[in-house]
Amino acid sequence: MKKSLFLILFAVAAGFTACEDKIDLDITKGISYPVLDAWITNEAGIQTIKFTMSVPYTDNSPAPIIDDAKITLFDLTTGESYPFLFKDNKYTYNASNKAIGVIGHGYKLHVEFKGEIFEAFDSIKRVTTIDSISYEFKTKEESISNKEGYYAKFHARDLAGATDYYWIRSYRNDTLRRLEDNFSIDGSYDEGVSDGNTFILPIREGITDYDKPFQANEKAIVRMLSLTHPSYDFLTQVNNQVNSGGLFAKVLENVKSNVHNTTPSGKTRILGWFGTSAVSRAERTFK
Amino acid sequence: MKTKATMLLSLLILILAGQSATAQQQRYTVSGYVKDKKNGESLVGISIGKSGTSLGTVSNQYGFYSLTLPAGEHELQFSYMGYGTYKTTVNLRKNVTLDVSMEATSSQLNVVTVNGQKQERTVNTLNTSINKLDIQQMKKMPTFMGEVDVLRAIQTLPGVNTVGEGASGFNVRGGNSDENLILLDEAPVYNSTHMLGFFSVFNPDAVKSLNLIKGGFPAEYGGRTSSVLDIRMKDGNNQDFNVNGGIGNIFSRLSVEGPLVKDKSSFIVAARRSYIDILMKPFVKGDMKDTKLNFYDLTAKANYKFNKNNSLFVSGYFGRDVFGFGKDINMNWGNTTATVRWNHVFTNRLFMNFTTYYSKYDYSLKFSNDSKKATNEDSQGYDWTSNIINYGVKPSFTYYINAANSLHFGVQGIYYTFKPGTGTSTEGSLKHVKQINDQHALESAVYLDHEFKPTKKFGIQYGGRLSAYQFIGKGTAYYFNDTTPGIRKRLIGSKDYNGNDLIKGYYYFEPRISARYAFTDEHAVKLAYSRTTQFMHQLSNTASPTPLDIWTPSTNNIKPMVSDQYTAGYFYNAPNDAYELSAEVFYKTTDNQLDYIDNANLQLNPLIEADLLPSQGRAYGLELYAKKDIGKTTGWVSYTLSRTERKTIGISMDEWFLNRYDRTHNLNLVLTHTFTKRTSLSANWVFASGTPGTFADNRLEFQDWDIPYNSTEKRNNYRLPAYHRLDLSMTLKGKQLKRWKGEWVFSLYNVYGRRNAYTIYFKQNDDDPTKREAVRLSIIGSIIPGITYNFKF
Repeated sequence: MKKSLFLILFAVAAGFTACEDKIDLDITKGISYPVLDAWITNEAGIQTIKFTMSVPYTDNSPAPIIDDAKITLFDLTTGESYPFLFKDNKYTYNASNKAIGVIGHGYKLHVEFKGEIFEAFDSIKRVTTIDSISYEFKTKEESISNKEGYYAKFHARDLAGATDYYWIRSYRNDTLRRLEDNFSIDGSYDEGVSDGNTFILPIREGITDYDKPFQANEKAIVRMLSLTHPSYDFLTQVNNQVNSGGLFAKVLENVKSNVHNTTPSGKTRILGWFGTSAVSRAERTFK
Repeated sequence: MKTKATMLLSLLILILAGQSATAQQQRYTVSGYVKDKKNGESLVGISIGKSGTSLGTVSNQYGFYSLTLPAGEHELQFSYMGYGTYKTTVNLRKNVTLDVSMEATSSQLNVVTVNGQKQERTVNTLNTSINKLDIQQMKKMPTFMGEVDVLRAIQTLPGVNTVGEGASGFNVRGGNSDENLILLDEAPVYNSTHMLGFFSVFNPDAVKSLNLIKGGFPAEYGGRTSSVLDIRMKDGNNQDFNVNGGIGNIFSRLSVEGPLVKDKSSFIVAARRSYIDILMKPFVKGDMKDTKLNFYDLTAKANYKFNKNNSLFVSGYFGRDVFGFGKDINMNWGNTTATVRWNHVFTNRLFMNFTTYYSKYDYSLKFSNDSKKATNEDSQGYDWTSNIINYGVKPSFTYYINAANSLHFGVQGIYYTFKPGTGTSTEGSLKHVKQINDQHALESAVYLDHEFKPTKKFGIQYGGRLSAYQFIGKGTAYYFNDTTPGIRKRLIGSKDYNGNDLIKGYYYFEPRISARYAFTDEHAVKLAYSRTTQFMHQLSNTASPTPLDIWTPSTNNIKPMVSDQYTAGYFYNAPNDAYELSAEVFYKTTDNQLDYIDNANLQLNPLIEADLLPSQGRAYGLELYAKKDIGKTTGWVSYTLSRTERKTIGISMDEWFLNRYDRTHNLNLVLTHTFTKRTSLSANWVFASGTPGTFADNRLEFQDWDIPYNSTEKRNNYRLPAYHRLDLSMTLKGKQLKRWKGEWVFSLYNVYGRRNAYTIYFKQNDDDPTKREAVRLSIIGSIIPGITYNFKF
């Protein structure tokens, strides 16, 4: 995170000479693994889990879908179970009447695949509310990135007491495609420095894509998700890996998985993550 | 260990006793300083010999020499390349002090004729693996944006490479960039570059010379395992006032030097500042309005010669890099060093240099919402600071027993304080502070080296160094569970210690030995072995260290690095010193290099030791070097064939893997051709194998991200494309007036605009996220011109 700030500064310093271009690499085809993408929230509506096979990185065809797994979610606090059924390329549960997630509850995801059993655990932490989204219109000359448009920031305050981990994801117009992701501990970047404070500016301003700021009549949507510490570690590792360019590039490391094969002498390995969150949400249209 | 030391000492006494037994005849000593007549700068490495014999010595780092000869009349010959030969006759009836001033021959700037003997011909010295460059040589090399750069110059030498443009630091013989001891007038410098790696922090106007030692370390050097880069500052002209300066497209430089008391005392003050931000100012608005982007440094030195036996030198350096956007984001970092040196001649044969120094590296990072907050909002700020400070003392002695024997010995002590990080956040009147506990350490050593040259053909320097390292209070020691390697260790307890209490101590004996055998005046072979230890570690898990990567001491959990290096070399100096050749091989092993678990948290983390892994390193290689100093065309060619690997339990299937800075081939060509007295052209061509990288062979679709994944789990399993680059520069000297001397330097960096890959990474296409691509990042993507006007009056 701190490094990404550096990158902005570096871009100014050396931007006039540095360049990036697409290249073709001859990379040996690796092993394809099953990948579980399961993020359950306390929002009402359809809850979705995706289960696919990994593919060579530059292969642009969509990842093959695994359709023969049996996936069930258990609320470990109440003992309730929620079967996720395969339909239209994904596993879903309709929580329109009653949200699945409850703050403070623990959850287990149970997956049966290729005759073996897999389990993963997480719990739902509290989340703070987003008070509002404000914005500023900047001309090409005024903006750091030299792009004209609306630059938005959100306003929120960390909940006092305990350490809170947050994932702030923003969207443009609809939630079909992510725009920016930011992660925070107690409203800043580190434990023990900002408990109960408002979120610091670099995080609040992080919801705008500086290369493509919002335009008139577009809508910014911000979702803030609470995270457990392991989920925070996982997602920040993912974030580092997908933004690994630049002078201070991190070496490529493989993200961890919390999906464990519980079958004695089980052979299959599943990558991915099972996470659970409470969500608060805000949006603003630019006029 | 103790017995080894005792044995060594007994051996030494035996040899010395033997020497004095044969010394029936009365002997006397001639000693003194050798200086440049024009500016009073001490001359280092001058050959001083009795004409017609092999008896001789060379002047030391401070220009002092001492030669003991039988009573009687002797013709002494002082010679130095570009200075001609100075001959004098001494009649030794008693010990004699003889200070010599030598005058540079007028053609020194473009050495076209043979003048005197070459300084310290490599075929004659005992040490292997040393490269020397003086500032005149560096000034002729092509530059990046017109700025003469010490660190770029050493990267053209064999055995030295770098991860790429913009990388902070350099790698010597397969060592990590934190394994180089970089000394500026004997004070260690922790961050040697400005602007994230593009320019070195050393002002060329204040630098006199540099020595790079890559192996066969003399016993006086310790504390780093890979190399010593010993940079010496000019003393300042003690005859005349001089102003040197340069105006370039990135920086400007100005230095003033002159006598304080003629012949006795002088000073030099040199300053530089970059001015991109000032030039940019009229063109930026809005968020960019208060952009700060500059760096500056100030180097100063003064000396005073009290009498023929006592001189004092005081020098200091202060440098800063400043980056910021308005009041919202501000960062700065830099080094500060100060050195006080006292040279004392006890007797004609016993010389002492007593150095004390202070060195500090610090950075700070600040965010605030002051300029952007709404009237009803609280002001908010976030501050983060970190530093490392050390105080050192090192008296060192040279005892010139006779022409064949000298002893180098001394003690050294360094006290370290680390402030790994303090984070402060403020909001309105609320303030939170998170401080990682300070750490303290004491590093001390005693050393002794015996330099023994019984015949003209054979010489040996052997000795050792006893190093003690103590991790001390006030501080906290943490204790961790052993878990599966590669996973964060679990804390099982901690203990607080009071000031100066010993938390953990490490003690080592480091043997050092170099030997030379010359077949003729032109050919010699040399062998060396040395053990080195290192107690400071820079924590960095990015492609190149950032200014925010902290240094940490060895602790109860982090073991010191220990390295053993074996070197063998063949050296040739042409009879008229027109050129020299060398071939060296080395093999090096290192224990306890640091590696990191996946997703390690290296910042503001009190339990940082839980994320570190020890690894084993090995490196080996062949280095070829040819250098031509005389003639219209001068320069050097260096070629290195090498391999550097490490093995870490918990990483890359526990197998050996290539280091990020491994380059199989590395070829450097540096040439200067002098056309006329006023024009010269220089070229520099580099060709190096690409550095290794870890490439993804899979992607995982997860929450709208494509996560790169390497299913082989092997690190650095591919190589980036080869690196090559040509630089040119042309120097046009103006009319050399009596007082004013000016020159234009035009430089072109990366002449054919090659896009050398710094890293290759994997990402979703910016415009269409359903397309994935491998992307090559080139830090320098085009040809970079530079113009500098240098003046002197």
